[in-house]
Amino acid sequence: MRFEGKLDIDAPRDRVWSFLTDPAQVTTCAPDVQSLEVTDPRHFKVVVRAGVGPIKGTFSMNVEFTELQEPGHASVVARGQAPGSAVEMVSNMDLAEFDETHTLMEWSSEVTVSGMIQQVGARLMQGAADKITQQVFACIKAKLEAPVTA
Amino acid sequence: MAIAIGGIGQSVKRKEDARFIRGRGNYVDDVKLPGMLYLDIARSPYAHARIKSIDTSKALAIPGVLAVITGKDLVPLKLEWMPTLMSDRQMVLPTDTVLYQAQEVAAVVATERYIAADGVAAIEVDYEPLPVVVDPIKALQPGATLVREDREQKDNHIWHWEVGDKAGTDKAFADAEVVVKQDLYIPRIHVSSIETCGIVASFDKIEGKLTVYMTTQAPHAIRTVIALVAGHLGLAEHKIRVISPDIGGGFGGKVPVYPGYVLAIGASVLTGVPVKWIEDRAENIQADSFARDYHISAELAAKKDGTMQALRVKTIADHGAFDAAANPSKYPAGLFHIITGSYPFQKSFVEVDGAYTNKPPGGIAYRCSFRVTEAAFTIERLVDVLALEIKKDPAELRMQNFIPPTAFPYKSVLGWEYDSGDYGRALKLAMDTIGYAELRKEQAEKRKRGELMGIGISSFTEIVGAGPSKDFDILGIKMFDSAEIRVHPTGKVMVRIGVKSQGQGHETTFGQIVAEELGIPVADIAVEEGDTDTAPYGLGTYASRSTPVAGGATAIAARKIREKAKLIAAHLLEANPDDIEWKDYKFQVKGVPTKSKTMQEIAFAAYTNHPQGMEAGLEAVDYYDPPNLTFPFGSYICVVDIDRGTGVVKIRRFVAVDDCGTIINPMIVEGQIHGGLTMGLAPALYEEINYDKDGNIQGSNFMDYLLPTAMETPNWETAKTTTPSPHHPIGAKGVGESATVGAPAAIANAVVDALAHLGVRHIDIPITPWKVQKILKDNGVAE
Repeated sequence: MRFEGKLDIDAPRDRVWSFLTDPAQVTTCAPDVQSLEVTDPRHFKVVVRAGVGPIKGTFSMNVEFTELQEPGHASVVARGQAPGSAVEMVSNMDLAEFDETHTLMEWSSEVTVSGMIQQVGARLMQGAADKITQQVFACIKAKLEAPVTA
Repeated sequence: MAIAIGGIGQSVKRKEDARFIRGRGNYVDDVKLPGMLYLDIARSPYAHARIKSIDTSKALAIPGVLAVITGKDLVPLKLEWMPTLMSDRQMVLPTDTVLYQAQEVAAVVATERYIAADGVAAIEVDYEPLPVVVDPIKALQPGATLVREDREQKDNHIWHWEVGDKAGTDKAFADAEVVVKQDLYIPRIHVSSIETCGIVASFDKIEGKLTVYMTTQAPHAIRTVIALVAGHLGLAEHKIRVISPDIGGGFGGKVPVYPGYVLAIGASVLTGVPVKWIEDRAENIQADSFARDYHISAELAAKKDGTMQALRVKTIADHGAFDAAANPSKYPAGLFHIITGSYPFQKSFVEVDGAYTNKPPGGIAYRCSFRVTEAAFTIERLVDVLALEIKKDPAELRMQNFIPPTAFPYKSVLGWEYDSGDYGRALKLAMDTIGYAELRKEQAEKRKRGELMGIGISSFTEIVGAGPSKDFDILGIKMFDSAEIRVHPTGKVMVRIGVKSQGQGHETTFGQIVAEELGIPVADIAVEEGDTDTAPYGLGTYASRSTPVAGGATAIAARKIREKAKLIAAHLLEANPDDIEWKDYKFQVKGVPTKSKTMQEIAFAAYTNHPQGMEAGLEAVDYYDPPNLTFPFGSYICVVDIDRGTGVVKIRRFVAVDDCGTIINPMIVEGQIHGGLTMGLAPALYEEINYDKDGNIQGSNFMDYLLPTAMETPNWETAKTTTPSPHHPIGAKGVGESATVGAPAAIANAVVDALAHLGVRHIDIPITPWKVQKILKDNGVAE
């Protein structure tokens, strides 16, 4: 499945970049994070709970920033498993400086889901993914657009 | 008298139902042994992947988890692979690569079932996904992803099998006035028995004896397989006891050995504690043997007047990642070459190629008696394609071509000797019962009004009762079957047989055979099966073989007893044995009905007053090697109405005329036919297991895999003709699978018939509303 979209963020590009490429910050917007373990600046491991319809699982995800071209482009490969299911996500993000306080983010994700969630939840997947995506980006936008508290 | 005895032909109520309807059956999951542990299995989410590592530490840290078994743990025991019944091998657990989704990857042994499941969830496997091939046609193309790296042969081709006269058939086609060709896909389906598979393995370390309670249709063969596979671990056949308790449906799915069985046995042997493994529904439908999955290209050559001349069939068989089918060794495509069906083809050539794909293994029967369903569907569909081509009524075309009753025993062009048949009689009865001529008139009138109604016929011939030892074996074990009968001093009887009921009613029907032969009431006859410590060796129940093979053994063993009983009768009646006759279920002095002895009197004498020089007791054993297979047949007619708005096919009427030779219990036969027809309806309209391009199963649960319920099932109308098998001791042919074999073509033919005026020649099953509605829309007749 391929997902893509654009997001206007009322924040300077450098700030957006540092938020989205910092595992500790960006995972605050991931759904139901159970734990985060940063191995090095390019690798981290995050455990999230996610569900599609009747199937819920705790996904243990290994995440790698495969490209980091500050301040405009990043690629991320995330691979993980829940019991009976596996997910692989290859994402790209481009940040364009609209002006000094506005950033345009273009993103796309290619997601492959295998196992139980694909079998049982396939026809619910699009709706579930859209919902999660909306929540994640609403969160990112809210956090980045909030006034900077020293 | 006959009714009191409950012999052959009586609708004796099923003895086993007394416990089943009270919920008192004893299934494998009812077996609870002291100290029993539970096993659960971690399965692959990927259809093809390299296992980089397996981390079991978190699972082992859970209190109550006693062990986690991976493929590497099995290597020192030489148990990471096991042989299949088709001379291939199958992974018990993978050491480096998984080949299909839901393949077993690791097993957890725990003190409780729930803890075992928690352990499975805690196993962390690092997979590297590999390219997947799910289409057998693509799998056979050069450069396709290789499924089986472990084989020397570096492609996905398993075997090529062919039968018939290729050159002669090609010539017949070249010379033919009419040739029709049809490609058909018979989709992968699953037996979906209500009871899933399971085992309780219990190893006694002191005695060195393994007792296995297992959902198996073939307990004796399983005992031998365990001895052969695990002999190097010290298991010997005299210390292996396989007990097949009550079984909640088998349909072929409980013939193979699954990795879970091996793991549970291994765990019990290592721990000396009983270990239970019961699979859940999703595991059963995802990983256990499937059925069908045949890609068929069939051609029929005929004269302009419809006389059928030659048949040419090319098939690709998808066997998944391992060839774990359960066919007789000599026939990797089963008895598919019954495909000439009820017609006297002069020439025929059939070839099948097996292919590996990243899908679960199998290719077993599903109430299909070794690929007979695929064959019957193909020929009966093809006959209708010919009928459309030459614009002839399909009933008339069949009547014109049937092998005539005078031709039996009939030698088919592909080598079978059909025992007996009267195909025209069965079709005529079906036509008369349903009112065929009237239906055709109604259809013509409705068609003028734009209403869609179709009539479909299937005049199938089956081949069951495997089989004669000269041609039939599984893993080298000949496909005889057996019966042992003991008549106790008080005239009560114990019958033990080598087959195993999964719901067929053996305790009743085999009792009736003995009742008929010995004149002892069926209520006084106990039938036992499924315990290898007590029952005589047999190959088990599948492919409709119980009555044709073990039924023959039972009748002959009873006749051996009657022979001895006759001598005792002569002794008691003080007559010459030549003057004794068996009449009205008694021995009597010829012409003197008052001088007679019942079998009960003789039984008592056999232990209390037997003739000097004769062995005491009254018992016999028979290992019956059938001289030929049996060939049940039937004609089914289905009437459908199609909703032009939704595309839904509604079965208005379905008349099934079956001929299974001598009928032992009409009520049980009717029940078999009702169940079989419903199982034939299922793939025709509902059931299919698909895979997406990544090998994800699309139909792993009963939301997506559509079993017909009482809502979808029409009112079946049954009727019969009786053409006994001339070679079978009681003339019976077997009926377990007839309806499943015959029904799909009747339904598909009816739907095509309803749409034939739109130019439709064929629709692949399952014929879903979506497929029909698309045809209606494409032709501008949808509402």
